[in-house]
Amino acid sequence: MSQSKPFSVLRWLIALVALGGMLFLLMERAPDSQPAPDTPAVAQAPDDGPADTATEVFGSPLPALSSLEELDLDTPPARRGLDLQHWQTRQGTPVYFMHAGELPMLDIQLLYAAGASRDGELPGLAMFTNAMLNEGTGSLDAGDIAAGFERLGAQFGNSSHRDMGLISLRTLTAADKLDPALTLFAQILSKPSFPEASLERIREQLLAGLRYARQRPGSQASEALWSTLYPDHPYGIPPDGTEDSLKAISRYDLQRFQQTYYSAGNAVIALVGDIDRARAEQLAQHLADAMPQGPAAEPTPPAEKIAASSQHIDFASSQTHVLVAQQGMSRTDPDYAALYLGNQILGGSGFGSRLVEEVREKRGLSYSVGSNFSAMQAPGPFVISLQTRSDQAEQALEVVNQTLDRFISEGPTDAEVNRAKQQLLGEFPLSTASNSAIVAQLAAIGFYDLPLNHMQLFLDRVQALTATDIREAFARHLPASERVVITVGPPQPPAEPEDNADQPSAAAEQEPSA
Amino acid sequence: MLRLRTLLLLLPLLTPTAMADSRQPTHSYTLDNGLNVIIREDHRAPVVVSQVWYKVGGVDEPPGQTGLSHALEHMMFKGSEHLEPGQASRLLSSLGASENAMTNRDYTAYYQMLSRDQLPVALEMEAERMHLLTLPEDEFLKEIEVIKEERRMRVDDNPNGVAYERFLAQAYTASPYAQPVIGWMHDLDRMQIEDLRAWYKSHYVPGNATLVIVGDVYPETVKPLVERYFGAVPAGPLPVVRKPLELPVIGERSLTQHLDLQLPSLLLGFNVPSLNTVSEPWEAHALRLLDAVLDGGYSARLPSHLERGDAIATSVGTGYDAFTRGDSLFVFSGIPNEARDIDLPTLEAAIWKEIDAIKQAPPSAEELARVQAQVVAGLVYAQDNIMQQANRIGELVTVGLPWQLVDNDIEALQAVTPEQVSEVARRYLVRERLTRSYNLPNAREEQQP
Repeated sequence: MSQSKPFSVLRWLIALVALGGMLFLLMERAPDSQPAPDTPAVAQAPDDGPADTATEVFGSPLPALSSLEELDLDTPPARRGLDLQHWQTRQGTPVYFMHAGELPMLDIQLLYAAGASRDGELPGLAMFTNAMLNEGTGSLDAGDIAAGFERLGAQFGNSSHRDMGLISLRTLTAADKLDPALTLFAQILSKPSFPEASLERIREQLLAGLRYARQRPGSQASEALWSTLYPDHPYGIPPDGTEDSLKAISRYDLQRFQQTYYSAGNAVIALVGDIDRARAEQLAQHLADAMPQGPAAEPTPPAEKIAASSQHIDFASSQTHVLVAQQGMSRTDPDYAALYLGNQILGGSGFGSRLVEEVREKRGLSYSVGSNFSAMQAPGPFVISLQTRSDQAEQALEVVNQTLDRFISEGPTDAEVNRAKQQLLGEFPLSTASNSAIVAQLAAIGFYDLPLNHMQLFLDRVQALTATDIREAFARHLPASERVVITVGPPQPPAEPEDNADQPSAAAEQEPSA
Repeated sequence: MLRLRTLLLLLPLLTPTAMADSRQPTHSYTLDNGLNVIIREDHRAPVVVSQVWYKVGGVDEPPGQTGLSHALEHMMFKGSEHLEPGQASRLLSSLGASENAMTNRDYTAYYQMLSRDQLPVALEMEAERMHLLTLPEDEFLKEIEVIKEERRMRVDDNPNGVAYERFLAQAYTASPYAQPVIGWMHDLDRMQIEDLRAWYKSHYVPGNATLVIVGDVYPETVKPLVERYFGAVPAGPLPVVRKPLELPVIGERSLTQHLDLQLPSLLLGFNVPSLNTVSEPWEAHALRLLDAVLDGGYSARLPSHLERGDAIATSVGTGYDAFTRGDSLFVFSGIPNEARDIDLPTLEAAIWKEIDAIKQAPPSAEELARVQAQVVAGLVYAQDNIMQQANRIGELVTVGLPWQLVDNDIEALQAVTPEQVSEVARRYLVRERLTRSYNLPNAREEQQP
């Protein structure tokens, strides 16, 4: 799914404070991998002629590993059978369903066009509303609701993002568990009560969350990025709100937002688990009936293009956070597959991708570096990010700019394209191995109004791409005249006058990197 | 936020890290060279997880050499006899496999998740770097800089990370759990490639490792593969694996940290045994239940009483890891609700009130039923994720506990009486075992108008 901002401020702070230590008790070595893409449903091997697939994919010479020689790369890897189904409730709410009978459990995910982009004049309203949904319904308070789910072993979830608000439930399917869990879940959908006591407490927690973000250079950088790329657009609204707006939001605002945006006409229902089609239909109808009845929200329009700029935010840290960004693509962009595949090669697939090789592997400049397209309802950002010791920030930025410029002007090599295609084929079985992964993909298909066979179509498009397609798509979408650079870290030495602050950052060739 | 989710998974609550049930066939055996092998079948999807766990971690490092295990983990990706630096990662990535590694206090682990037909590639690469790692110095000189960047990102520029690192350094006295796994910066500065070569030689032997394979595999086909690749690794002398032990009672410790924080926070850590060091196992299980009664969900006591209820805390919670090689900690942490003028001593007093309450009266049947319902459901949910299953098995075995705990853990919890939950609170949540840290925003901040 797209840009996400996990809500649960409170569990979040706890995790960070309480077990912040785990950060260095258990660590992952590689840069964060990108979230699983929506991946193809039925894969085909890349359609490559006579060339030896192993050499194309692994390069030459092959390492002397017997397992590689024995690998059959021309047969696509086996995958879990996916019988995806789709229908609408009487209200027209789209439903996506897959029966998975192996485990006695059910995952429900509801997505609403109810994200921060709907905040209007009250930043934080979407998140505040989402956080209040399980704080009270009818006669139940927050503790009753939580205890109700927990005594069934059910897991309720809610989160708020820029495009969407999310509500989820994971439950066992034994009738004595499923039925009461669903009853409680439907109550949350139909009559959240927004009790005053909770409202003030959540408000305080959100305000504390705002302050907490101020101690994190990464949060500062991210906030600056969105406000710079989307100055007069709903995506520029800070999802966490502002101090003033959070204080101004009233119970009425929350109720109105819930009634307007958490409606059956504005929802997508995704179900994966051990129930049959008839039960799924009945269940989905029951959920849609419980929601306020109302229309779908208008889609978020694209933003105005913005000119290149660079800005530095002073922060007392040992590292400088570097972001290179611009508006990217929407989830339904015709170039989605080309940009997705190209980004895998550029910096979206960890080791082996160009940015990781140039920044980390060759120069040791950063632990975590990568690039990402947030494909959203309207074109979301393309972002390259890294952190490095402050005195190296300038060098790292140069390497990033050069790598990006070269990729845009020359495109990937054929070998890189073939490798990336093979990679996506291979990832597919992994990205559909769990029910939780499938339910999320189904919900996204519904939310972005993609065809049910989207995963297949995506794969087909990917396999048909050429290096030229990718180069052209990148050139179309990422002109250097729109590239924004944001750095957060110790004050920069005043070596150069500040007057170049608005120049395109691509002009960073003064000094070739080591 | 991947990392945050990782953190949450690590919260040693009862539920989320729970395990698969005994319906899944699991096969355990040992190769002639001493490698321990555990294969668990899960045929839902044609994918497999392969992991190698070494019994070496931060806890084994001598003073002055902190960070060795983690640095070696990084260097395990920098080439072996038949693979150039980074080549294995690129090959796996080309296949669409996901791979990574993790270093903890108690262990170092490497994993790949891939299509079942690709399993031999993972096994061959992993077997090769078990005994044929090259450890080139030029690669090390670059990689140690990456590790320092990692430390800056995770700890030095993260005041919560700094606070917790220093807190642990106080909370453990005799136990090397006081040392940071990533290493002190001054130890990273003086680390040499020879140190890593010696560390590799002494700890990376088959007898000190466990191979865990979970997924769509059958022992008839996997065992020959394991023998083919790992059977070729020569046996070596076994390192001594010591349980980190803490003094029974140390005395109350207190520290005040001034950091670049925006919100003050509180840490209270009590020295307690783990399942590995406890003389009566029920005590460790009772401590787990205590953890769950206090913070196992939004309806548990601390969120109910302190976050909602009196709204004393912006957030408050507990953590207890029973599955460690050595003596453990039971930690309370919290952020006071400054909007209601709550300060750290007031929050601490409220936490003590909760501690005293459970010392005096056992948890209700309903509270324990809620905890058990979550554990039972967690057993099912955990099966949706083969990586989680493999992690659980590998961690148990590597810290010295039987993997069968993944299947019979629920019985152990059910055997604990409510009174025993109060009893462990009385025994262990006492001031002589306490380390308290008050983490305060820098005075510099407060002086600003």
